Amino acid sequence: MFKLLTFSCLIALTSFLFSGCYPGGADFTEDYDVVYTNHSASYDFQGKSTYSMPDKIVVDVDIDKGDTIPVYMKQIYADPILQKIDDNMANLGWTKVDISTGPDVLLTPAGISSTTYYYDYWYCWWYGGWYGGWGWYYPPYVTVSSFTTGTLVMTIQDPNVDSPINSSVAVWVAGINGILSGAYNIGRITSGVDQAFSQSQYLKTN
Amino acid sequence: MTYAVGFGTGDLGEFNSQVSWRGFQIDMHKMLDLKMGLGGSFGWNVFYDEKDYDTYTDGTASLSGKQYRYTNALPLLASFNYYMNPGQKANFFVGLGTGVTYIRRNTDMNLYTIEQEAWAFTLEPEIGVEIQNNLNNAFTIAVKYFNGLAAGDFDKTQSYITLNVGWTFKS
Repeated sequence: MFKLLTFSCLIALTSFLFSGCYPGGADFTEDYDVVYTNHSASYDFQGKSTYSMPDKIVVDVDIDKGDTIPVYMKQIYADPILQKIDDNMANLGWTKVDISTGPDVLLTPAGISSTTYYYDYWYCWWYGGWYGGWGWYYPPYVTVSSFTTGTLVMTIQDPNVDSPINSSVAVWVAGINGILSGAYNIGRITSGVDQAFSQSQYLKTN
Repeated sequence: MTYAVGFGTGDLGEFNSQVSWRGFQIDMHKMLDLKMGLGGSFGWNVFYDEKDYDTYTDGTASLSGKQYRYTNALPLLASFNYYMNPGQKANFFVGLGTGVTYIRRNTDMNLYTIEQEAWAFTLEPEIGVEIQNNLNNAFTIAVKYFNGLAAGDFDKTQSYITLNVGWTFKS
């Protein structure tokens, strides 16, 4: 009896250790933030010095009767992001010029959001008794949970490189991704912009 | 049955540098005589590291963020123990186990995980001592070295040491 009791206690303790105390990972939404960059190894960034960038950030595209109409991020959110990009490019030795003057490269930022939904179906079953057979209550209970991720994508293209498809290939790409929270903390994005340039020192021209 | 504190060594230790405070092992032996016991063991250790924000580079690509590293190791072994001081208060023993260890390594970043797993052939030498409480049970301390050979998604040996503290029940 003592042995059985002791074994039971140890198994209960073990279950506690491996369920309630299983290491949990991220604590805050910021802990999910990541910054990805990649570039063309053969492209000569040091030989370039000027860039152009739109003064708006596209976040979606509406298609109306065949026409594509860009949807822009509100300027109150876009401005600090664009300013942060300009600051980082200036620190790396780049000069911003108007697109009409023929810049060496184009830098285009865009925002993307994506919502993932989880569905769980809970059926209540019944047994027909006299009438026979099994069945389900209808409709089933459905629970839904979701999270939304946001990504700021920045690309650098060289419009002076000839292409058979009249489209510039990106020579640098950065993605700043995280879970969106209700706080709309723009500082998480601007920190991501800083990180994207910090880990892309090959862009340095000065 | 013992509580097992784990210390990663080699490749496992590089991946998970933190001590595993989550672990247990269950050993069962049938005594062939007063000095030799033959049986098996099963255990589970969870290694976990929360890495600081850092940048990981592969070729021209770089990825920055917080990384959460998990290793689950579940050895299932046949084992042989040799007891050196039967009948005495402190009964020292040495043992050797062999079998397989299921090893699963998860590297979590953002909402994604990279999962590697293997069933690794394992050798497990151990030393320990049983402090006899009475005829029915003994306080047990042991040190075990689990050496899982490269297998599955791992091209390097996955090894760790456990410090085991618990009780041995006799019937």
